Amino acid sequence: MNRKRNLQAFCFVIPAVLILGIFVYFPLVNNIIYSFQSFSLSSIIKEWVGLENYKALLSDKTIWICIKNNILYAIISIIIQVGFGLVLAAVLEDIAFRKFAPFLRSIYFIPTVISLTVICLLFEFVYNPQMGLLNSFLNAIGLDNLSQVWLGNKKTAMLSIIAVSQWQSIGYVTMLFIVAIQKIPKDLYEAAEVDGAGKIKRFFYITVPQVRQMFFVTMMLTVVGAFTVFNEPYILTGGGPGTATMVLSLYMYQTGFVKNNMGYASTIAMLIFVITAVLSSVQFLTYGTEKEER
Amino acid sequence: MKSKKVMGLTIAAIMIASLAACGGSSDSGKGVEDSIDDDKIVINFFHRWPNDPKNSMFNELIEKYMDENPNVTIKMDCILNDQYKEKIRMVVSTDEVPDIFSSWSGTFAEEMIQSGNVAELNDMYESDTEWSSQISQASIDGFTFDDKIYGVPWSQDGKVFFYNKEIFEENALEIPTTWTEFIDVLDKLQDAGYETPVVEGLSDSWAILHYLGTMNQRMIDPDTLAEDYNADTGEFTDPGYVEVLEKWQQLTEYMGDVCSAIDHETARNTYFATGEAPIMYLQFAEIPLLEESLPDGFEYGFFNFPAFEEGKGDINALTGAPEGFMISNKTKYPEECQKFLKWLVSKQGGEALTTQCGDLSSVEGAVDETNGLPAQIEAMDIIKSASQLSPWLDNACDASVYTVYGQGAQAIATGDETPGNVMKQVQEAAASLH
Repeated sequence: MNRKRNLQAFCFVIPAVLILGIFVYFPLVNNIIYSFQSFSLSSIIKEWVGLENYKALLSDKTIWICIKNNILYAIISIIIQVGFGLVLAAVLEDIAFRKFAPFLRSIYFIPTVISLTVICLLFEFVYNPQMGLLNSFLNAIGLDNLSQVWLGNKKTAMLSIIAVSQWQSIGYVTMLFIVAIQKIPKDLYEAAEVDGAGKIKRFFYITVPQVRQMFFVTMMLTVVGAFTVFNEPYILTGGGPGTATMVLSLYMYQTGFVKNNMGYASTIAMLIFVITAVLSSVQFLTYGTEKEER
Repeated sequence: MKSKKVMGLTIAAIMIASLAACGGSSDSGKGVEDSIDDDKIVINFFHRWPNDPKNSMFNELIEKYMDENPNVTIKMDCILNDQYKEKIRMVVSTDEVPDIFSSWSGTFAEEMIQSGNVAELNDMYESDTEWSSQISQASIDGFTFDDKIYGVPWSQDGKVFFYNKEIFEENALEIPTTWTEFIDVLDKLQDAGYETPVVEGLSDSWAILHYLGTMNQRMIDPDTLAEDYNADTGEFTDPGYVEVLEKWQQLTEYMGDVCSAIDHETARNTYFATGEAPIMYLQFAEIPLLEESLPDGFEYGFFNFPAFEEGKGDINALTGAPEGFMISNKTKYPEECQKFLKWLVSKQGGEALTTQCGDLSSVEGAVDETNGLPAQIEAMDIIKSASQLSPWLDNACDASVYTVYGQGAQAIATGDETPGNVMKQVQEAAASLH
């Protein structure tokens, strides 16, 4: 009976394993092999070059610009999406906002459901130096000296791109936190209130520890998202001016499909894979120990 | 328990059946195709113009051809530029290569040819001189490698400065022929109150590369240039390259701050077409697009890129390139493919291209006063009178080199890089290809 059951279970798992195997693990293994080769899309033979690609990776200056930009992306995303998103969720769940909460929730969530391409094109208009909303707004309130060529200036381009992602994703993270906060037993808050804890204290001593689990989920989402970001810089600046807004995945795409150097692009893909794998496993591990302690 | 088991097996059966169905459908699809092959000739035609008006023009032309030749079926497939590049690169070296496909000239054509699947067409040209004599020779050159012709040019294009005639007249400006005169004109325009006397959308790196391609051609000795653009021998050590970038830096100072954040189309439509910027470096292919956004009475003229006083290149060369079609040597029907291309690249096809889509046909005489805009006829004359067509930089050299070139020049425009430094990066990129 048991063996039969196992067999049956196996049958159910097979399709998923097959699909995963063909579409995820097979390409992954293939990519590892590619990263030791040199070839272009149209070349017939793939030349084995050993560690050449990895050596090139270490001496490639653009890679460091990419990594720097991705790290900046991750840090800002954690602060704004996770940090500020949690505060926003707590505020929306507060009794004072009960009345407007559903309305505000939808407002914050709407950007998440709009296509990223659309959002980026909209923001191109916002950032347009001549007739863009942002500069017009600054001029209107008398801060003319703050108006910038947002996407064309090395100093502001990356931050401008990051800002778009924050605007888009904060609603999603907030929503996740709202769900977590709603699961917190109400008696905890009531007991704290009886003990005389104010709203801020209740936030730090009840809300924050209680949503810890969600905290890890959102951290992982935003950090992995920050290291795989592609659309925003691709549409808004294409990595420019110069290489000021180049990120890892965009550089990988350019190397592979523009420079037609698929081998080196695979090596960059490996780098992205290693970075995201390490970051997620660190987060998984810390989360795992956390669970046991409880 | 039993019913569960039955359920499980049923689901498994359905899954297997559906998998089998997927496999089966594609098989049966092939079967149908084969049966058509027996009595009908099927030509796969793959190009890069899925947008109208070109797509509907091709549809009309192909329908007409199939009406005239009922035994031939032309299966057209198309995707847009960058995706087209990716797809054709992927399929060209396989058996899936389409019978006829579009290609750029220069390095892209070379890459296609290296796959070994592109047919050599010298016979096609030699056996039918009545047809081949109408095709512009400069355009054929773009598809000729080691005296072997690998393509049929379809359209041609050139890049010149477009200028606002009214503004030039108001300020009594002459058309500049040398760099010094050009800078002088820009200075005068700036004095007259035009903040951006020449405009470009520098967020498009191809637009920058078009400039650099021309400037390198004007400045550098042609032999050195050919050597450097060749991936196997490129060094880019000639001091002229740094001078070119210095001149580029000088030029971008006239473009204003905003240019680094806008793209080429924005520059054309909101600066040049509105008269805010009197000069812009544009392609002839942009004439119909420009006409759409021009106010009534706006008059524009052309002048070729001015000569550098110290330059070693041909000053009568025009930057531009043909685009055309290639035939696979794996095709089952080489003769039918040639016949179709001869029919397509002819007076009627050329006329359709120029009048419906605004591109300049590579067929001489396809455009005249009766069917073209005056600007297009002038453009055809300029192309014809050019001593040679020199390719866009992003068609002339390897992508690893021009990507670095474009990014560097962009950074020069924003003041983040120096010409010397950029050239060093280009040299490194070129060296990595050897």
